[in-house]
Amino acid sequence: MIPTQWFLILSAILFSIGVCGVLTRRNGITIFMSIELMVNAVNLTFLAYARQFNQLHGLIFVFFIMAIAAAEAAVGLAIFISLFHHRETIDVDEANLMHW
Amino acid sequence: MFEYLIFFVFAAIAIIFALVVVLHRNAVVGALSLVVSFFSLAVMYVLLDAPFLAALQVIVYAGAIMVLFLFVIMLLNLQHVQEANTRPVQKFLGYTSAAAFLITIVYYILKYAAFTAPASPFRADAHQIGVSLFEAYVFPFEMVSILLLAAIVGAMLLSNRSIDTSESISTEVMEQPDGESGAEVTR
Repeated sequence: MIPTQWFLILSAILFSIGVCGVLTRRNGITIFMSIELMVNAVNLTFLAYARQFNQLHGLIFVFFIMAIAAAEAAVGLAIFISLFHHRETIDVDEANLMHW
Repeated sequence: MFEYLIFFVFAAIAIIFALVVVLHRNAVVGALSLVVSFFSLAVMYVLLDAPFLAALQVIVYAGAIMVLFLFVIMLLNLQHVQEANTRPVQKFLGYTSAAAFLITIVYYILKYAAFTAPASPFRADAHQIGVSLFEAYVFPFEMVSILLLAAIVGAMLLSNRSIDTSESISTEVMEQPDGESGAEVTR
């Protein structure tokens, strides 16, 4: 049986890679994919703790997170399509209408 | 022992392809790498005794969501777009803060989350998840269905190009109520 903290460390590494992508990339779609990576890292943490404490609630949470991530992906990609139609780019630095 | 081998091989695959997502300049390569990373996370779910969620991971994430990403990349014709360079200070701060976050969280995991491995194997099949979903969690389940409906309507509304001219189109339809202009409105 693999110890729980190894899964937690793997999850932390994947989450940090996602954070890194969100902070350093400018392509909107890539930023979005990094967010999906972070969501998946959190799912892995939920499942690791669910097995550790023998609870079903973690699995249900992962189920709901998957549904919400699907909704988020649909709306977010629609926003990027709309942005592309207006600006002809998905570089997030170009979307600076509310910038001071 | 075999379990450990599988864990390390697929953990390495997940991390390497996640790094490809973050570092590669082409969005299509990033999306396909993310599919591979999600597949190896599904293997992790199997190792955590949750085969039902592993199947969901492959179907929903690697199947549906990533196909949506690739579809949008192709629709916007982004597969040849090379993204501009990030500012060096932003790159430095991003890498530094992500590394600091990683070091901190690994330190606290090793300090406070050093569990002994559970004795009995965790049993969670689709039957138990379904019963729990429709008894204890029936209200969040219905909320998620409403959320998905709102997401469908929002996605259609946001990605519709002719949303600004909808009023003029509807007046045109009022003036000439034949079948063809009605078909244009539904487009």
